[in-house]
Amino acid sequence: MQAATVIESARPPSLRAEHVSKAFVSGEQRTQVLDGLTLDIEAGELTLISGPSGCGKSTLLAVLSGLQKVDGGRVCALGSELGQLDLRALERFRLQHTGFVFQGFNLFPALSAFEQVELPLNHMGLSREEARCRAQQSLEEVGLAHRMRLRPSELSGGEKQRVAIARALAKRPELLFADEPTSALDAANGQVIIDILHRIARNHGTTVLCVSHDPRLVIHADRVLAMEDGRILSDRRSQAPATDSHGNPS
Amino acid sequence: MVALARKTLVYEWRRFLPAILAVGFAGLLQLLQIALVLGIFGSTSLYITGSSADVWVGFPGTQSVSLGRAINADLQSRVLMDPAVERVEPYLWVDGDWRGAHETGGVSVFVSGIDTRADGLMYSRVLSPALRARLAEPDAIVVDRSAMDQLGVDIGQTATINGRQVRVVGISTGLRALGGVNVLCSLDTARHLDSDPSDDGPTYLVAKLRDPAQAEAVAARLRGDTAFGPYTAWSARDFANISVRYWLFDTGAGAGVLFLAGIVFLVGAAITSQTLIAAVNGSVREYATLNALGVGVGALRKVVLEQAFWVGALGLLGASVLGIALMLLARSQDVPVVLNVTAALACIILVMGLAAVSGLAAMRSLRRADPATLLR
Repeated sequence: MQAATVIESARPPSLRAEHVSKAFVSGEQRTQVLDGLTLDIEAGELTLISGPSGCGKSTLLAVLSGLQKVDGGRVCALGSELGQLDLRALERFRLQHTGFVFQGFNLFPALSAFEQVELPLNHMGLSREEARCRAQQSLEEVGLAHRMRLRPSELSGGEKQRVAIARALAKRPELLFADEPTSALDAANGQVIIDILHRIARNHGTTVLCVSHDPRLVIHADRVLAMEDGRILSDRRSQAPATDSHGNPS
Repeated sequence: MVALARKTLVYEWRRFLPAILAVGFAGLLQLLQIALVLGIFGSTSLYITGSSADVWVGFPGTQSVSLGRAINADLQSRVLMDPAVERVEPYLWVDGDWRGAHETGGVSVFVSGIDTRADGLMYSRVLSPALRARLAEPDAIVVDRSAMDQLGVDIGQTATINGRQVRVVGISTGLRALGGVNVLCSLDTARHLDSDPSDDGPTYLVAKLRDPAQAEAVAARLRGDTAFGPYTAWSARDFANISVRYWLFDTGAGAGVLFLAGIVFLVGAAITSQTLIAAVNGSVREYATLNALGVGVGALRKVVLEQAFWVGALGLLGASVLGIALMLLARSQDVPVVLNVTAALACIILVMGLAAVSGLAAMRSLRRADPATLLR
């Protein structure tokens, strides 16, 4: 029944959270991090979730990306209800459809930039040539074509984050999640990263969901969700929305 | 496919070095212990392995070459009657008490009375033809180089065995014995030295076959007969195994080898698994990121296991190189070391098993590679 309603809507959002709640228990202390949150996120946009630390924005990202299960409510991504997938199916879903960029760059010290990007592609069942071709393309797209033989220790922080983005981008995901992607970077490098993320949303029609408390990001996002205490306080769109919203309110 | 396991091993070799050393030394320790035990106890079958006889005939129930009893001398013609047998010669074992030129106290010697003809079977692999020929002289003996000090004699000097005089006419190598000293002489000399009047026949009859591959069948065939008093027959290989096994288990050395194997395995696995666990923990965020990108836990486990495999292989390589060098050194110093294919395989299995167990232990710490922990 519930699945039917999703299919019925003319153009389903790529990500939908319905009455999602999540709590963490440590000892006898129970902290409600997400509290009955409902949210749609559209493709082709850079959506930013901002808010003070501890407001639940990273947990929301974890729940929407299927890295964590919800306590109540449901999460639909690209038409699949994530709560119904087992661990294997979730891994497969992430492999096919999602990219991640984390605050730490999490690059293997032993691998060159090119190999970092190629590695996840090897597991997607792509041919060797296809994987190499994609790795090359996405490193070019983040402007690192000339640095792709270098190891992380030879790259600057901004370049490392661009390698991490290329690694996510090369999978050609429909969903790209970024957690505080600029907070470890200086202004100039942060700007480069924001521009790349924005371009990915525009050029590839990717759903880019970014969590950050970096105020520099706000003016570049197509849509900004302000969060506090596990709820969405405000939902603002920038002057020119990238896609028509079909009157999707709220 | 990006070779993550190998590239990490090469790039972060300092991190993996303790594990490689642990595996290497575990392997080396076990290798040398087995080689030493096989070398020392292999000397108890020297009489068989150093000779070219294919079938041995001796007293029933004999547990080791050194523990034989006299058998009927007429058996020689019985054995020769078997069509597969090419030639037969007697071998006389006499336990002797040695008195050398210098005071040495009591030294027990194992006198081997052998056929001194140029094509004699006994000791054909360890005794040079020239030395064999010199044994034909009355009361002539040959002793091993390593026993010279023990016997207190030098070449050309005389000594007594069981109160009868003998003369050292030559010195050989590779005749080291366990629990005594091997003395080689002719059958006539040996009979002369035998103080036990009840010994009227040879201790063994050794036979050469037209086709050595028939040894088992011929031994079984010879065993059936009782017309010449108590005797039995073994193929050379079986009798050598019986001798070595007797000493291995009689002295507890076999249990010692197994005990050390257990200790080596535990200590090696403890160090190796800790090193691999540390390596996994060092890259846990990168593994978690791969998992977030959809690379399955199974694939990540394979990376850890592959690292364990390379650690084992590199350790084994180091152990082999060092082990061969040390064994050559031991050989040059007359220390008996022997390694056969079975023992080498056992070492390889032990070392790779150790690496595999360590890899499995390290795989468990991949559970900490939960991508949700990357989001805070």
